[in-house]
Formats: sequence, C-alpha cells, structure tokens
Amino acid sequence: MSDAAPEPAVMVRGVTKTFERARVPALRGVDLTVQPGEFVAIVGPSGCGKSTLLHLLAALDVPDSGALVVGGHNLASGRRLNHYRARDAGIVFQLDNLLPSLTAAENVQAPMFETGRSRQERKERAAELLALVGLTGKERQRPAELSGGERQRVAIARALANDPPLLLADEPTGRLDSEAGRRVLDLLEELRARRGLTIILVTHDPAVAARADRTIRMLDGRMVDDGTAA
Amino acid sequence: MSFLSLIVKNLLRQPVRTGLTVLGISIGITTVVALGVITAGLKSTSGELITAGGSDFLVAQQGTADLSFSTVSEADWQAVSRMPGVAQAIGVLIHITRAGDNPFFPVLGIRAEDLARRAVPLREGVLFPPGAGDVVVMGDSAAASLGVGVGGTVLVDRRTFTISGIYHAGTTFEDAGLYAPLATVQEMTSKPGTVTALFITTAPDSSTAAVATTIEERFPNLEAVTSVDEYDEVDQGLRLIDAANLAISVLAVGIGAIGVMNTMVMSVFERTRQIGILRAVGWSGSRIMRMILGESLILCLLAAVAGSLLGVLATLAIAELPEVRTLLKLEFAPVIFVRALLVAVIVALAGAIYPAIRAVRLTPMEALRYE
Repeated sequence: MSDAAPEPAVMVRGVTKTFERARVPALRGVDLTVQPGEFVAIVGPSGCGKSTLLHLLAALDVPDSGALVVGGHNLASGRRLNHYRARDAGIVFQLDNLLPSLTAAENVQAPMFETGRSRQERKERAAELLALVGLTGKERQRPAELSGGERQRVAIARALANDPPLLLADEPTGRLDSEAGRRVLDLLEELRARRGLTIILVTHDPAVAARADRTIRMLDGRMVDDGTAA
Repeated sequence: MSFLSLIVKNLLRQPVRTGLTVLGISIGITTVVALGVITAGLKSTSGELITAGGSDFLVAQQGTADLSFSTVSEADWQAVSRMPGVAQAIGVLIHITRAGDNPFFPVLGIRAEDLARRAVPLREGVLFPPGAGDVVVMGDSAAASLGVGVGGTVLVDRRTFTISGIYHAGTTFEDAGLYAPLATVQEMTSKPGTVTALFITTAPDSSTAAVATTIEERFPNLEAVTSVDEYDEVDQGLRLIDAANLAISVLAVGIGAIGVMNTMVMSVFERTRQIGILRAVGWSGSRIMRMILGESLILCLLAAVAGSLLGVLATLAIAELPEVRTLLKLEFAPVIFVRALLVAVIVALAGAIYPAIRAVRLTPMEALRYE
C-alpha cells in the first residue's frame, strides 16, 4: 500500500529578495510548504517581508535566489509567468485594484482574455462568479458605484476568473469596516470549502489570522514560526 | 466585453484629449489628401493635353520649367512634319494670360487649316478661316465662365477678339481657353516663327514609340512626351508638386507621430498602475502591446476618415476659386485615400511603439507601485 504524501501546493526553499533601493534584504532565506486546500495566514509587522513573499508567490516579481515551486511551476525561473498568473493563482490586493472605467462584470472578465474563452463564455462566467460572491444585479455597476466590501468581492471574483487552485490575498480586509471584513473572510472560507482552494492570506490583524488553519509569523525577512509546532 | 470594446473604452476615458489628437492628425491627412487630389488632377489635365485633338503624342523643348516656356522653331516643326511615320504635326503656341477674372487663361495659337484638321468639335458657330485676324473659337467652359457666346467678344491682352464658334474638345485645358490664329498669337507674344509644342499623329503603319524615339534622336533639343509619366521632362512644375506632396506627407507623418506619441505616452503613464493590474491578472506583454497599438490605430483611422472627408471638402472649395475653376480638374483617385490610410497607419505605429514598449518592459510590481 502506498501512502505517499500529496504534492505540496506551494514549496518555498531558501528564498531571498533584496530591492535595489533598499538597504536591507526583504527576504533572507524563507522556507515554506503549504498543502493543497490549506488556509494559511502570514502575519508580522510592517516591513517584515510578508507582502514581498506573497508577491513572489503571485509571480509579480522573481526572487534573487532560492526555489519557489507552485503547482508545478518553477517561479524562480522567471519563465511562463503570464501563463501562471492567468491560470494558476488569483490575487486579491488590499486596495481592490479594479479598473475604474470597466463595470464589475467587465473587471471579472479581464483575466479571461488570456485563456481563449469566447465573449459569451466570458460573460456567463463573470455573471456566475459575481453570483458566487453575492453580487448578482451589480454586474453593470462601476467600481465607484460599489461599497468597499462589494469592490473587494468583485476583486475576489476576478481572482477566481480562470478557476485557479491557489488564491493569494494581501490584507484583503485592511481597508474594510469590521462587518464588511467579516463577510469577505466568510466568503473566502466558503470558497475554500466549496472549491478546495488553497488560500494564503497576508494580514497584520490577529483576528483575521485566527480564521486560518495555520499562522506563519515573519520578522525581518525571516520566518520565525511556520505554525506547525504543536 | 470584447478586446476591441476595451480599447474603445480606454480611448473614451479622456474624450477631449482623444478628440483633439484625432483633429491634429486629421489636419495632416487633410493636407495629404488635398495635395494628392490636386496633383492627380494636374497630372490628368497634362495627360489629356498629350493626346489633345486626337494626337498620339506631344513634342516640346526639353527641360523647360513649364510647358508654356517651351519654344519649337517653325524650321524644326517642318522637319518633324516631313519625318517618316509622322502623319500630321500640328504646331500650337500656348500663351497663358488674363481673361476676365481668370489670370491663367489659355490662349492657343493655331493655323486655321490645322484647327480644321484637329478634332475640336464645334458646338455652335464656325471655325475661323485662313487669314483671319482677331477671330477666335472658344472652349465651352471658358465661354460659360466669361458669360460670352458666338458673335460676342473677349478682351485678351488689351485686344478684342470676336468669337466665331464654341467648341467642346473634352480636355480641361482646351475647354478652359480659346484657339486663335497662330500669327496673331505669335504677334501678341512677340514669338514670331515659333510654337510651344507639336501635336503628332503617327501614320497608321508606324509605331508611336519608334517615331517618338526617332524625333528625340534627330532633335536633341526636343522631348517627345508619349505618356503623363514623361510629362515632367517638359514641365518641371509637376515634378515640384510631386516633391512637395512627398515632403508634406513625410511632415504629416512626423508631426502626427509626435502628436500620437504625446497622447499615448501620457495615456500609458496615467494608466501605469492599471497596466500593472492587467499584468497581475495574467495579461501577457504582447496583449498589453496590442491594446496600446490598437488604441493608437483607432485614433489614426478616425483621423484618416476625418482627414479624407476634410481633404475632399477642401479641394472642392479650392476648385471653386475663380483663378483655378476652369483649369483644375479634381481627381479623387482611390490611391490617394489608400495613401492617407497608409500615412495614418505609419503615424499610429510610429507614435505608439515607444509607449507600448515602455508599458511592456515594466514588471507587474513596478507598475503596481507606480503612483
């Protein structure tokens, strides 16, 4: 009988990153393993490197050294990152980062251009995702016509546009009031339960981190607690 | 939402800037179209002149700045007439002068017997007879413009001519002027014993090209013009207009490209963060580039349409000016509009390539951090 462990959803080994203008490294040899379907929160003070790590996992940047493998993609190689961003990982920012000239439905459709869906398929998929995040009837609203919580839910729907297995969220409730923030977190938990998503969320709020299966603590570009200790 | 509608939405974010950019480029396109239409018209008029009166080609002095400056001696005329293969050589002295409010009125001096042989169909009246003095036949558009008819008179260079007939030759240049006795025109212009050009009809069994070549070989001072492409050998004005047309097209491209680049650079700078968002959700560099080039292309295609319409309207207005009304024949050749389209596409690509490359070179993080 084979009891081989499942392939991790995320595997980070010895990742370092220093920004050109910064005096100190943002990441100094980070190791992290996340299993499929896990909900992980990364916490730490400002400047500890948690957002940098999340941006590397979203393939928005590349590490200086180390290994970064997500869903079989070697992100450290810097190759086929567009393909990865379009299909394998969705990201939700603290600021919703929606395109202001597009409607909610059009914002959700934006990532689908890279996956060859037809116009009709894009339209139907956007309506389905907006329904999933509880925004039926708001399809034609522009971001300026939506509340902060609604905009963040549109951003979540956009992140799920191409059905990625991994959802990355950078302080997704940071700009929301407590009720709107609670509803966004409820939605993330529900999506994880219904769709088996792996979720990695960055926050400085202990109450938000408490919703995760595991909390990773970072300090000065290093992981000081990977949340696996009993 | 289609990719095209996304591009259009991007342009409509700043409708005033988009409109002003389209207007700026369309002025350049207007110039290209208007000059193209006028140049094509002038060439067409020149082409008509080569075969005017049923002739096969025209012979004039080589290298003159303008056909009306050409001088062919009567001795050369007679020698050409006697050459093998030449069935008929009609000498015409062209004198451009003022008549009424038209400062470019063509007065064509011709012998009465040659006028009778030339295919100049009379609409009314009669041709002037041999030995006539101040009697002329006038083109129908000239008569209409001057408001005169058979039996009336026309004042040319302080001489009053009686109109014996009205003709319609079917060529802009002839119909906009008059035929007068050659001796009278030679006297008016102080050019005795000369004509401006010879209109040659070749014998039925002779080759036009061979006869033209033989004339050029035997008379090195003369040029045989068998097609409009050779016309600038005897009238360098067309060559100048062609050069001006090219220069203005290049200027239009240059100025237009700078205008488009300015607009697109501003647009890309303003949208750097949005471009970062699109990269973050998986858009490839090539799609970002296509989006920016698409925006530029739509701007320039709109300008091409607007500029072409304005160019047509401008040439129609120019053609109504009294100075050129009878002489300028407008030619709205499709090639002119294709050229305008080509200019627009070049402007679009030249203006958008730098901002597009800049947008693509930014990493998603750089773009997202941009404030």
